[in-house]
Amino acid sequence: MSREERRSANGPPPFRGRLFLLLVVLAYGVLFRHDASAALLALRRGGLLLLRLLPVFAAVILLIALVNWLLRPQQIVRWLGRESGVRGWLLALLAGVISHGPMYAWYPMISDLRERGGRDGLVVVFLFARCIKVPLLPLMVDSFGLRFTLVLGLYILAGSLVQGWLMERLQR
Amino acid sequence: MKKKEQQNMPAGQRAGMVEPRPPFLLVLKRSSRMFLSMAPLLVGIMGLVGLVQTLVTPEMLALLFRGRPVTDTLVGTLAGAAATGNPVVSYLLGGELLQQGISLYAVTAFVLSWVTLGVIQLPMEAEMFGFRFMLLRNLLALGGTILVAVLTAFTMQVLS
Repeated sequence: MSREERRSANGPPPFRGRLFLLLVVLAYGVLFRHDASAALLALRRGGLLLLRLLPVFAAVILLIALVNWLLRPQQIVRWLGRESGVRGWLLALLAGVISHGPMYAWYPMISDLRERGGRDGLVVVFLFARCIKVPLLPLMVDSFGLRFTLVLGLYILAGSLVQGWLMERLQR
Repeated sequence: MKKKEQQNMPAGQRAGMVEPRPPFLLVLKRSSRMFLSMAPLLVGIMGLVGLVQTLVTPEMLALLFRGRPVTDTLVGTLAGAAATGNPVVSYLLGGELLQQGISLYAVTAFVLSWVTLGVIQLPMEAEMFGFRFMLLRNLLALGGTILVAVLTAFTMQVLS
């Protein structure tokens, strides 16, 4: 391991979004002055969400590590880059459908893949295909019926691909 | 081939060789650091989610619908984009809205935009992927949500 690699693995991480966090803290401060109980309730909800998402974050970290460990940059480009073809589109669709948790939990992994040559069109496909929530399908069938769920699912898949294709066109 | 032998090889010869895979623990540590660097963004988003969930209740969202299919579809898209939380809430609320007579166009747009659009996560998306990507992606998702909602509701009408 080179000295630079060792330093980057051991040094403090370069934090991103500190200003955003500060603004959120300020918003809490303002709400606390006006309605302390609402601010505490919001804080509790945010905290509970963080706790609930910790396993998802752990899974995402593990997945990023596995992808980086198993796949070399050339392989990532071949699977998700310019020359990925139909395989790339299908992979993005499948990943979107089976991915779990909120969209923003996946941003670090997507960012990492983009830096390694992943296509923007596939990111768009992945993010829209996440409308299909496999664990929640029974609930959707219960609320809206099987026919609606199937029709919506098909349109979501088609819509994801169209958006990905449009994104590639717009990025040229 | 031994490491020492590789080091003694000419650079051109070494370039053609496949680099050895780094230890998994090192890769895991790098991934954790990369994820940790996003911590302020993630914590900020979750703080914002807590705020919106407290200040914008499902009942307030339901009041936005007026029973006019076209405007309700737009309202549903925007309300879903502004709302946050588990998609289960959007399904349950969507079911309620349907029973209240709100059009399927509007309810479908609401359920879809709840997942695919998120006003709250826009700052994080812009920070991580750049403003242009965030803008294009969300405009496409906005158009896609309305189109998918309209097509789904129309297909359901035709099928029934």
